[in-house]
Amino acid sequence: MSKLLIVIPAYNEQDNIVRVVTELAEHYPQYDYVVVNDGSRDRTAALCRAHGFRLIDLPVNLGLAGAFQTGLRYAAENGYDCALQFDGDGQHQPKYIAPMLKLLEEGADIVIGSRFITVKKPKSLRMLGSYLISWAIRLTTGRAICDPTSGMRMYSRRLLEEFAQNLNYGPEPDTISYLIKNGAVVKELQVEMAERTSGQSYFNLMRSAEYMVKMGLSILLIQWFRKRDTTTPYPERSL
Amino acid sequence: MEEQLVLRCLLVLGSLLTAAFILRRVRKAQVQIEDTIFWLGFSALLLLLSIFPQAAFRLSRALGFQSPINLVYLLIIFVLLAKQFFMTIRISQMDSKLRSLAQRVALNEEKIERSRPAGSPEVPAGCVPPDSPQGSPAGPRSVSK
Repeated sequence: MSKLLIVIPAYNEQDNIVRVVTELAEHYPQYDYVVVNDGSRDRTAALCRAHGFRLIDLPVNLGLAGAFQTGLRYAAENGYDCALQFDGDGQHQPKYIAPMLKLLEEGADIVIGSRFITVKKPKSLRMLGSYLISWAIRLTTGRAICDPTSGMRMYSRRLLEEFAQNLNYGPEPDTISYLIKNGAVVKELQVEMAERTSGQSYFNLMRSAEYMVKMGLSILLIQWFRKRDTTTPYPERSL
Repeated sequence: MEEQLVLRCLLVLGSLLTAAFILRRVRKAQVQIEDTIFWLGFSALLLLLSIFPQAAFRLSRALGFQSPINLVYLLIIFVLLAKQFFMTIRISQMDSKLRSLAQRVALNEEKIERSRPAGSPEVPAGCVPPDSPQGSPAGPRSVSK
């Protein structure tokens, strides 16, 4: 079995992190995990230390992309075969890790834990963004990604190193669309997600609008101009 | 109408050059995608102004400007000032983050040095990243250059 690292970026997750990580550590000891504390202002790091969780404590806030990249650098430097992006708020259920890993080993570069393969995507305002991004990816790559905004994604070794070293590789739909365009194999697996039990979603109306503008422009326009360069090491991007 | 044609051509040129420059930086992976959005928007604004100058005319008349060009100038100055304002905030935040990072590194170095017993080797094991180039150990000394 491939060696999997579960990367759990956590920003102000003091109410959820202990429950989430304890479940992983107790019921799924076959997988390694690491919590990346993204400069939280609450007791997230202190709780992780008190419970003896494996923790990377970022001294400043880097945002989700920066925190996740930290986890992937850790995975790359410590010889993991694949990495899973896993939320610290209890939305994602670890029972889907094994089937996702199986799909990845059968030959995928990215496996997305998707909410809407067999389940119909609700036609709500919240899902409007998801519809638009799906449509943009379909338009530019010809591939249907049912749940592009799902935060539960698994990456193969090859991509893991690419993510760890490069600029503009945030764990977001635009990177997915860019990688599909460059020949990456993306598969989806139907999963169920829990509602967040406590804490606040990062997204409010303003943030959502900003996110949509960024994703829309990025997928529809900017990705065409990117050049995939996995060979030239920039001094600042070498591990 | 003649001088307006020159101005419109200049606006088109400026708009296309802006877009081309920023997209070239994206291609070379020298800029983050979120930072390109302003410049692409700015470029789109210039392009719209050059294609539909009637908008500038109508708006300047409605707001009582002497000449549409004044409105165009004012608009561009305002957009750039706003950008400058947000950049100032961002630089300021980066500055404080950098300070806090440097302090963190220095405090950690001090902790490592203090915990190292006297007479032990200069670079403690585990301080060198696995694939760092030879001859430049990332030990405590190399940080303070």
